Amino acid sequence: MADPVASNPRKSTVTRRSFLKTIGAAGAAVGTAPAFLRSTAEAQETPFRDPAAKRGGTLRYGVHTAPAHFDVHQSGTVANIGAQSPMYDTLLRRDPRDGQTIIPDLAFKWDVSPDGKKYTFHLRKGVKFHDGADFTAQDVKATYERIVRPPKGVVIPRSSLFTAVGEIVVLDPHRIEFRLTEPRPRAFMLGAFASGWNIIVRKKTLDDNQGNLRQIMNYPGTGPFRHVSRKDKEVWIMERNPNYWNKGLPYVDKLEVYHMPPFSPELGAAFLSGKLDYARLMDPVSWRKAKEMPGVSAAAFNQSVVQAVFFNQKKNKALQDARVRRALHLALDKHVLVDVVKDTAPMQIGGMVYPFHEASTPKAELEKRLGYQRDPKAQIQEAKKLMQAAGYGQGLKNLDFLVREANTFKLWAVAIQAMLKEHLNVECNLRVVQISQWFEEAAAGNFDLAISAIVSSLMDPSDYFEAWYGKNGPQNYSSWTNEQFHSLARNIEREVDDNKRKTMIRQAEDILESDPPLIPVSYEQIYDAWYNRVRGQNPKTYFGIYDVVRWDQVWMAQA
Amino acid sequence: MQKYLLRRAFFALGTLIGVSLIIFVVLRILPGDPLVAILGVEGHAKMAPADREALMRDLGLSDSLPVQYARWMRDIAVGELGKSFFRGDTVRDLILHRGPLSGEIAILALIISWLVGLPVGILSAIRPNGWADAVARSLSVLFIAVPGFWLGLLIVLALLFWFGYKAPIIIVQLWEDPWQNFQLVIGPAAVLGLAQGAYIARMARSCLLEVIREDYVRTARAKGTVERSVVLRHALPNALLPVITISGVLLGFVLGGSVAVEQAFGVPGLGRALVVAIVERDIVVVQNLVLLYAAIFVLVNVLVDMSYAWLDPRIRYQ
Repeated sequence: MADPVASNPRKSTVTRRSFLKTIGAAGAAVGTAPAFLRSTAEAQETPFRDPAAKRGGTLRYGVHTAPAHFDVHQSGTVANIGAQSPMYDTLLRRDPRDGQTIIPDLAFKWDVSPDGKKYTFHLRKGVKFHDGADFTAQDVKATYERIVRPPKGVVIPRSSLFTAVGEIVVLDPHRIEFRLTEPRPRAFMLGAFASGWNIIVRKKTLDDNQGNLRQIMNYPGTGPFRHVSRKDKEVWIMERNPNYWNKGLPYVDKLEVYHMPPFSPELGAAFLSGKLDYARLMDPVSWRKAKEMPGVSAAAFNQSVVQAVFFNQKKNKALQDARVRRALHLALDKHVLVDVVKDTAPMQIGGMVYPFHEASTPKAELEKRLGYQRDPKAQIQEAKKLMQAAGYGQGLKNLDFLVREANTFKLWAVAIQAMLKEHLNVECNLRVVQISQWFEEAAAGNFDLAISAIVSSLMDPSDYFEAWYGKNGPQNYSSWTNEQFHSLARNIEREVDDNKRKTMIRQAEDILESDPPLIPVSYEQIYDAWYNRVRGQNPKTYFGIYDVVRWDQVWMAQA
Repeated sequence: MQKYLLRRAFFALGTLIGVSLIIFVVLRILPGDPLVAILGVEGHAKMAPADREALMRDLGLSDSLPVQYARWMRDIAVGELGKSFFRGDTVRDLILHRGPLSGEIAILALIISWLVGLPVGILSAIRPNGWADAVARSLSVLFIAVPGFWLGLLIVLALLFWFGYKAPIIIVQLWEDPWQNFQLVIGPAAVLGLAQGAYIARMARSCLLEVIREDYVRTARAKGTVERSVVLRHALPNALLPVITISGVLLGFVLGGSVAVEQAFGVPGLGRALVVAIVERDIVVVQNLVLLYAAIFVLVNVLVDMSYAWLDPRIRYQ
C-alpha cells in the first residue's frame, strides 16, 4: 500500500508556483503533519528554479579547513561535506529555499507503507555518474548497505539513524525498498534519507576499494559539479556537470572551494577583501564588519553542535550525586557564558534538547527555568541548597578540569572556574590539551570535569539521545545512566504519533534537567556572508551546514 | 681542506641522525590520538577498539619503534619521505609544492636583513652615540622585541581595514605569476627580515667599532684614504666575519619564525603545513618537515664555516 501523501505517479515539470500550490494542497490534506512531510514528490526535476537566474560565472566559496580524508560517509565534519558534496546527490534532499522541506532528488517519488515499515523509492532513469556509468538501484543498495552495516574498519557516524533498517531490496533497476524491523517516526526516517551526508556512490567504486574511500580523492558521483583539480589545504576546483540530470542546473560554470579555518580572521579577511564570493563559518568580528558593508548580505542560523561540560561519574564520587551535578549546572550563568565568547564564536543558550527543535521547551519558557534565567540569583541560591543537601556545602577541591584546545573552550573554562569557585566554592584545576588528546583522555576517564562540543546529524532527538545520553553512547563522556530516561528514549524512538512524541520529549527534558548528564553551555550558530552578486541562497532558516550544500541553485548576478 | 670537509660532513650527519632520533621518539611518546583527526570526533567515538587497532596497523603505528624508525630512514634514502596520514598525499609532493614559497620567504628575509641591517650598523658605527645611532639602536631593539606573528597580524589587519587588501589566498609560484607571488612572500619576508636585520645592525655596529680602532685603519686614514674607502674597503671586510656567522644562526631563526609568521599572514608555506600537521598529529609530515628544517640549518652552518676561508685568507683548515 502506498502512502497517500506520496503516491501520485503523474510526472511533470513543475514551476515554483505550482509546486508551492501542491505543497499547500497536500498540507491541507494531511492536517497537522509537519511542513517537511507535505512534499508530494511527483516531480521529475527538483522544484527550485529561479526564472531570473543566469548561467555562467565562477563561485568562490570559503569553508573550513581541508578534509582529513575523502570518505564523506565516514566523516563527521563540514571539511568533507563542504568541499565534496557538490559532486554528489542523495535519495531525497532539503529544499535549498528553506532548508527544511524534503523534496525529491535521485528518488523522484517515494511511498511509505501504512504500518511505517516499508520505504519504497522510485529512482530517476537516465542518470549517469561522472565516469559515464548508469545510476541504478544497485548503487543505492550498495551505498546504504555500507551506511547501515559498515564493513570492518569503516566507521559511519550516521549508521545509528538506520538501526531499524532490516533489509534493503532492489525491486527493479529503478525501484528500491527499505524494510524496517519496526516503525520509526516518518519525519525521522525521511530526514535521515535527506541528510546531505548520505551521498550515493557507485557500487563498483565501493567494491574496487573494499568499501573504504578514505584515500580515494575523486570517486564518481552524479552531482551537479565534477572534479577538476585540488591543491591540498588550499582549494578544490569543480566544473559544471553538462550531463546533470536536473536539466539547466547548476547555474554556475565553475565552483572554487577554498579551505580556510572556521571562525578565523583569515577567512574573514579573504571575504572582506573580496577574494571570496561566499564565506561560511565566519568569526563574529568579521561577520559584523561584513554586515555593515554595502553590497553584502549576511545570515546567522542554527547548527547541530552543543558545547557542554561533562562530569566524570566513574572517577568522582561527588559527581555521582544528581544534586551536585544539578548544582554545578545551576551555578553557571549561561547568558554570561554566551557573552564571554561573543567575539570568538556565535552562540545561543539552550537546554538538553536542541532549543530550536519544535518539541523542545520554547526559548521564552526555557529562560524562566532555573539554569537559564537572565538574573542568576535564584538559581545560585538553589545550587547552594543542593550542595548543602548533598553534603558538599563546603564545596569541592582539586577537580581536574580537562579543556579542549580552542579559544572558546579556554575562555569558557576560565569563566566556569570563576563561577564555580565564587558560587559553590568548587575549585578546579584547568588542564588544556589538544583535541586529539582530549578525546583520548575523555575516553580513558582521566578527568573530573571536561569541556568540549558534541554533534548530531539530525535535529530530531532520536538521533542524539542514544549517542549523547545513552548508556553506552559514544559521546556520553559523563558515563551517565538513568533507567527512566533510557526507557523513555527507546519509546520516543518508536513513537510515530507526533503529538505523543512531543510530550514524551518534554518528559525526557525534565529528567535530564533534574539528573543532568552534562551542562549545556551553549549551542553553536553559523555565520555566513555573501556578496549580493551571489543569488539563490539564503541560509537563515537552515538547520546546520550538512544538508543544503550543493550550490546547484546558486547563480551569479554578474555572470 | 678535503679532510676538514669530510669531518664536517661526518659531524653534520651525526647531528641529523641525533635530531631524527629525538623527533621520532618525542612524537611517539607525546599524548594524543591521530585517529581523532582522521575519523572526526563522532567517527572516532563510534569506532570499535578492534577497528581502531586495525587502522593503527594500517598506518604503521602498531609496529615496534625500531621497525618504524628503520622504515622512515628507508623512505628518506629512496626519496619518498612517506605519506601523510590524511588524504594520502606524499610528503615529497608537499615539500615540492610549498617549499619554494618558504624558501623564497627565507632568502628574501635574509636579503632584507642584510640590506637593512648592514647600512644601519655602518651608520651607527661611524657616528657612535649620535642621533642616527640612537634612532638605529632604538629601532633595532624594537624589532628584536616585537614578536613577528603579532607584527604580521597588525600588517594584515591594517592592509585589510585601510585598503581592503589581502594577499592571494592560495599558492602562486614565482614562475606562474611573479607579481602575485611577490605579494604572497613580501609580507612575511619583511617581518622576518626586519627582525633579523636588527640583530645584524647591532652585530655590524659593534664589530665595526672594534675594527675602526685598529692600527691598520688608522694607517689608512694617515695615508689620506677617503673615509668611505676606509670603512668599506679596509674595515668592513674584517668586521663581516661575525656578521656572516650570525647570519647562519639567524637563518635558523628565520626558518623557526616562518612557522608563526606564515600562519599570521595566512601564507600556505611549509611553516603553515607544519602547524597543521602538528595539530592533526600527522606524525609522518611533522617528522619529515622538522628534519628538513634541521638539515637546512646544519647545511647553512657548514657553508658559513667554509666561507671563512674565502673571506679571511689567514684561516686555513687543518
